[in-house]
This record gives sequence, C-alpha cells and structure tokens, in this order.
Amino acid sequence: MDMEKNKRIFMKPGETNEEDRRNFIKFWVKYMKSTSDKEWSKQQNVIINSQLHVAKYNFRL
Amino acid sequence: MTLNYMELKNNKIILDRIPSELDIFAVEFLRILEKYTEYVVISGYVSILLGRTRSTEDIDVFIKPLSKEELSSLHKELKESNFWCLNAEKDNEIYSYLTDKLAIRFAKINTYAPNFEVKFPKDKLDEEAFSDFITVELSIGDIKISSLERHIAFKNYYLGSKKDEEDALHIEEYFKDKIDFSKINKYKLLIEERKRKHGYGKK
Repeated sequence: MDMEKNKRIFMKPGETNEEDRRNFIKFWVKYMKSTSDKEWSKQQNVIINSQLHVAKYNFRL
Repeated sequence: MTLNYMELKNNKIILDRIPSELDIFAVEFLRILEKYTEYVVISGYVSILLGRTRSTEDIDVFIKPLSKEELSSLHKELKESNFWCLNAEKDNEIYSYLTDKLAIRFAKINTYAPNFEVKFPKDKLDEEAFSDFITVELSIGDIKISSLERHIAFKNYYLGSKKDEEDALHIEEYFKDKIDFSKINKYKLLIEERKRKHGYGKK
C-alpha cells in the first residue's frame, strides 16, 4: 500500500513536548508501514547524513 | 515498481532501504571485524537502522573475546583499510582496555565520527546477545543486531533516558505483532538483578 495512492494519515498533536515526540514516533511508524523501505529511508537519510556531515565538520582534524 | 516493506521472519529482516552513510560505514567495518570474531550490534544504531528518525555518532557492538594475537591481526587489517583506534595506537594497550571490559573506538583515519564502540560482553546477560541475534539483510551486506526484545528491555530498563525510551517505542510500534513481551519482562528482571548485584547503571 503506497500512501501516495491512499488517504493521507494525520498526526495527533501531543499535550506536552514529550507526548508530541511519542506521537510523532507512532505517526512515523504508521507512515513507514504505508510506504516502501526505499521511500521512508530516503527521508530518514536526510537526517542521518546531514548530522554526520556536521559531526565530521566539527571534529575535523 | 515493486514496493518492499521490512518484515521480521525467522530471525531475519530483509530491509530494502537506501543505505545511509552510517550503514555504509557500518558494513565496511563489520566485514573486517567478522573475519576475526563474532559480533552483535546493540543499542541506538539498531533503532536507526530499522527506521528511527534520528542519527548517531557511534555504533555500539559486542564482540566475542579474542586473543591478543587475533586483536593485533584485526587492528592491522583495520589500519590497512584506513580505520584508526581513538583510544590508543599500541595493540597491547588496546587489548588491555578490552580485557578490562572497557570500550574501544574505531573511526576512519583522520576523523572521530562516526565511530564504532567495540566491547567485550560484561557478563552472562551480555553474552546471551550472541544466542538470539537477528540478521538484517541490506543491499550492501548483512548486519547482525541484538534481538528486539533485548533491545527494548535494555533501552527501557538499563539505559533509560528519554532518547532510549523513544528508540524502544519505535521498535515496539513497528514490530508489535512480532515481539514476545514475556521475553522483555524476563530481561527486565535480569537487568534489575544485575543492577542490584554489580551496580552497573547507565552507560
């Protein structure tokens, strides 16, 4: 099931920052299950790769 | 186009993700490491590999104890593949850290991050990670990770920060139909017992 071809899913906002973060995790997992590994990993890689670039820059020798 | 979804079956996860730079780094290091000893990747990178939306600068891995000679050969091959140890240069010193149950770190030469945090198991509870690991099959190679139940239990009851609890929640949410919650409780009791006996606290 590809989310693009189906109804959008929506995230429930949390009452606190902690609840909001947990709600996002559940929302993200729902999204992962609605799309292919390639699609969600493309988005996740933006976070992973950009943080690595920052870390490499900060720790450059 | 075929759409592939990650699924756990018979202790194996076939993951059709686009490899991140962290995955490429992990596979390169692990292909060398596994020539010398058995390994199991634990902690944060397990959640990240399986889709958690965060990154990390270090990948934790347990290795089965190896001899000083084996460590020297491993270190030699790592250096030839442009890795360096962040803790020491001499094999003796690196080996003594490991046998003192301390973690040693390896990164690509002239960098500090990302890095691999390599350690021997502290006790029987850690050693058991080698008996129920999961193999994650990526397009660039396999990665052995700790069982999901062990991962969740250690995140929630041993490490216990907000970040760790969120890492556990991600795995619980995705694999809830596959997780043996009684196994998590068993680990919880063993972790509590370890804390009582040895006082091993947070990382």
